[in-house]
Amino acid sequence: MTTLPRFTRRENWRQLVVYGVAVLLGLVFVARLFSLQIINGDTYLVQTEDNRTDTISDPPARGIVYDRNGIILANNIASYSIIITPAYLPDDEGDIQRIYRDLSELTGVEVGSPVLDPLTDESLIAAKLFAPCVPGPSIIDLVTLGETNAPYEPVKIQCNVGEEIAMIVRERASDWPGVDVLIEPLRDYPTGSLTANIIGFLGPIPAILEQEYRDLGFLPNRDKVGYSGVEYTLNDILMGTPGERTVEVDVAGAVLRNLAPPVDPVAGYNVVLTIDTRLQQAAQTALLNAIEYWNEVYYGYYRISSGAVIAMDPQTGEILAMVQYPTYENNRMVRYIPAYYYNQLEQDPAHPLLNYAVNTEFPPGSTFKLTTALGVLNEGIVTPESIIDAPAIIGVTNTYSPTDPGKVEYYYDWTYTFYGETSGLGKLPFLKCIALSSDACFYKVGGGFEDEVPEGLGILRLQEYARALGYDQQSGIELPGELTGLIPDPTWKRIFRGENWSTGDTYLASVGQGYVLATPLQVLMSAATIANDGKLMQPTVVYEIRDEQGNVIQPFTPRMRWDITQDPIIRDFECDGGYCIETGEMKPVEYWVVQAVQSGMRMAATDSRGTLNHDFSFQNYPIAIAGKTGTAEYCDDVAFTKGLCQRGEWPAHGWTVAYAPFDNPEIAIIAFLYNAGEGGRVAAPIVRDVMNAYFEIKAIDTAQGLTGSP
Amino acid sequence: MFRSGFWRRFDFWLLGTIIIALVFGVTMIRSAIAGNDSLSEVVIRQIIFGSLGFVVILIVAVIDYRFWSGAIGPMYVVIVVALGALKVIGGTRFGATRWIETGLVSIQPTELAKIVVILALANFFAKTSDAPRNWVWLVKSLLITLGIAGLIYIQPNLSNVIVTMTLWAALTWVSGVQLKHLGVIALTGISLVGIMIFSPVLEQYQRDRIFDFLINDPNASYGATYNVRQALAALASGGWFGKGYGLGSQTQLRFMKVRHTDFIFSVIGEEFGFVGTVLVLALLGFIIYRCLRAARLARDPFGSLIAYGVAILIFFQGAVNIAVNLNLIPVTGVPLPFISYGGSGLLSLMLGVGLVESVALRSKSLDV
Repeated sequence: MTTLPRFTRRENWRQLVVYGVAVLLGLVFVARLFSLQIINGDTYLVQTEDNRTDTISDPPARGIVYDRNGIILANNIASYSIIITPAYLPDDEGDIQRIYRDLSELTGVEVGSPVLDPLTDESLIAAKLFAPCVPGPSIIDLVTLGETNAPYEPVKIQCNVGEEIAMIVRERASDWPGVDVLIEPLRDYPTGSLTANIIGFLGPIPAILEQEYRDLGFLPNRDKVGYSGVEYTLNDILMGTPGERTVEVDVAGAVLRNLAPPVDPVAGYNVVLTIDTRLQQAAQTALLNAIEYWNEVYYGYYRISSGAVIAMDPQTGEILAMVQYPTYENNRMVRYIPAYYYNQLEQDPAHPLLNYAVNTEFPPGSTFKLTTALGVLNEGIVTPESIIDAPAIIGVTNTYSPTDPGKVEYYYDWTYTFYGETSGLGKLPFLKCIALSSDACFYKVGGGFEDEVPEGLGILRLQEYARALGYDQQSGIELPGELTGLIPDPTWKRIFRGENWSTGDTYLASVGQGYVLATPLQVLMSAATIANDGKLMQPTVVYEIRDEQGNVIQPFTPRMRWDITQDPIIRDFECDGGYCIETGEMKPVEYWVVQAVQSGMRMAATDSRGTLNHDFSFQNYPIAIAGKTGTAEYCDDVAFTKGLCQRGEWPAHGWTVAYAPFDNPEIAIIAFLYNAGEGGRVAAPIVRDVMNAYFEIKAIDTAQGLTGSP
Repeated sequence: MFRSGFWRRFDFWLLGTIIIALVFGVTMIRSAIAGNDSLSEVVIRQIIFGSLGFVVILIVAVIDYRFWSGAIGPMYVVIVVALGALKVIGGTRFGATRWIETGLVSIQPTELAKIVVILALANFFAKTSDAPRNWVWLVKSLLITLGIAGLIYIQPNLSNVIVTMTLWAALTWVSGVQLKHLGVIALTGISLVGIMIFSPVLEQYQRDRIFDFLINDPNASYGATYNVRQALAALASGGWFGKGYGLGSQTQLRFMKVRHTDFIFSVIGEEFGFVGTVLVLALLGFIIYRCLRAARLARDPFGSLIAYGVAILIFFQGAVNIAVNLNLIPVTGVPLPFISYGGSGLLSLMLGVGLVESVALRSKSLDV
């Protein structure tokens, strides 16, 4: 007790310091709590709400694509993947090992050895390189990686397993906690390469469009978009609208409940195409048979490297068939686009990824004479009865300007190549120039010839008629990457060739050579427009659009873009000595002119010397057909490097376009063969085969009481 | 001892507050386990330890604290042996050997060691209350502390070394250490800490924690800062009254880790808001105040120093834990006294409170 006073005396101020520190610290804590909880509480509340809230996007089913008869061209099929959700695996390591062993036995995926420390640098690198569905990693590797990232996220152990294995896994689900079957939609193209050029394929959402699609609720790693064909052009119609669920999640990512009423996904619209798969198949067979025959039997070497056939209803613009060679297998692109396959297609000089109907352009050759004939008759250059001398060769002065004296150049008729210098077709009434496809005749009427045709049509007027028939512009069909073709004029030549237009250029353009380029669809449209009495119909591959329940959202209505006999779409020119000035007036094409050209086309099949009147094409054909052949000389990069571009004997593409029945045309067909030579010999038989198929199919449908429309 | 009036000096306020804190703690632990099956037994164990602690308080209160003065030597030896044994037979948890696994419970001798340090230092300073406050006096007290602190350090358990050294500093302070000696010690301490941080003495994780806190590296790994950020968000998102018991999303959806131990204060903050956290501060403040009151009224320096030491222990551990929860200092594994889950820690603190009650029972006057 004696020590106490000293102790208490000493402790007084020192204890006060301790009290002071404690009280001060308490105040600091209260102030800090006030700042955190009261002043900034809302900010942190947002953060914690963010933590527990997750928005899940539910994918919509992509629309189905049908042909006009209801045959499925693009569908969604179930793809089964075996998945393991690490968090749902049993606690006991022995049970897990047993599941792995059973699963390995069933699927053939290795079990692998246990990973002691999953977070090594190697495994992190492996995790970054990890791509789902690529075989290689063992079950343990996959599960360990998944568990490290997100234990409630299912890990794909094996993708695209057969339905049988999927069923076995389903049945054993109760024995195998954590193991399940994931069913994912996968695009399937039942008709594969037959329709690949029209249907196209899907691919991952491109990085540049990622934000746009995210805003719509799509997920880059899950949802796919069209890359080509109608999958591309009709993507927005087919994709549908994703559903959205706002859910509460825990730290491991397990979904606990909906925080708001979920929005269900809306399936994409179904699309019915105008394509008739039966005709498509027939056209493909005809095309492949012809190519095989010419390459393997006739020429004995791989000469015709590509070709295309298109069939269309000229009165409605519906494309009934659109085939090509080569093409590709779009079913190989459904899971992912295999790089080696895609590169192979990309580097193929025959361009199988292009749709030949619209993505390629070639000189139309003599098929373009329809355009020239239309112009020549409408402008009164000649009458249908005018007699034109058609020798095998004509010499004309080629000048680059009115003051250029020029020099004589020789222009050859196709008869020159076959029968020599002294041949020729003799004196022909103009309509027979069409039927017999006289080049000399069309040189003369297109460019003018001495006193016989004092004033030719000229390039500016030719361009007007070409455009009226659909050349030099996109058709607007629902296919991506359409080319415009080219109808040149003096301005174009000065800009792109750095040279004046020459009179010789007009001669070549008059027969679809020189600088003239057209897509096969444009050539078909020109013939179909004439067949349809001058009405240019919008070509289309889409018949109608339906919703999930089958209600028609957008019915088919043929759309006429213009009628050349009614709509004044031809600019009028005043011409003198080959030089033309616009008068500022617009005019249509006379109706009789269109009929005259039709007669010329009809005579190709009926005249004894007509280009379509051969025993291998349309001789004695039971249905009245009309058409035009074409043999278009060309010199592209491929031919040039092979040294084939020799004057007078250039390589040539073969064309034939025809329609039937003549009086009420319901089918127009074009065949194009690259580097095939004479169109009447190689392309016309294909058109005939397809036409046969068309009328056979029609007969079958009529017998069954079908009208041919879906 | 059992004559009537003996219990009148018993500090029922202190015991009552502690029971309130314990009950509140058990309630919060129940919420904090957030449906995790592997933690479900924690609530029962906390109740058992709390009840055991209640008995310990009564028994220790009855025993005259002056009895411990004579038992300091053997107790000190036993605790040193126990701490040494940890290195040999202890189980490693989270990289540190702090536990002796027995059949039933894990015993952490470190917790008991802190009470022994208080008793030993109180005994030493009481006995030397007349001695000059020279270097010999100071170094002797330091050696008593270091005997235990050194063994805690090699576990390694840096936070309890700091707690132990703080007890020593606080007890020397109140026992009249000369300011110039204190200055020298402080300087030495700071340089030692500096050397430790930049030399391989510290374990990497200890250094990482300090650096993570001191230099808020934006490139710091997500895991290093994850729990601190989640706990702070939980605490702060509570607002005035909290999200309600069992309704804290950060807690219930387990975005926070070690919820029922180190971060129980954040759980309280989330579910009971500012009102709840200030109430906890008030509860702890009141407990500390009652201990300091017992120290002031103690019959002799030994009793006074014991009560003072226990007050410092509760105060320091509480302050460190709350400061961690408020993201004011780096993460250390110090629990919140009486509220966090923790058997050994709780029992030791209740033992300390028993000593305070013992001192209070024998205080010099009832009326001060």
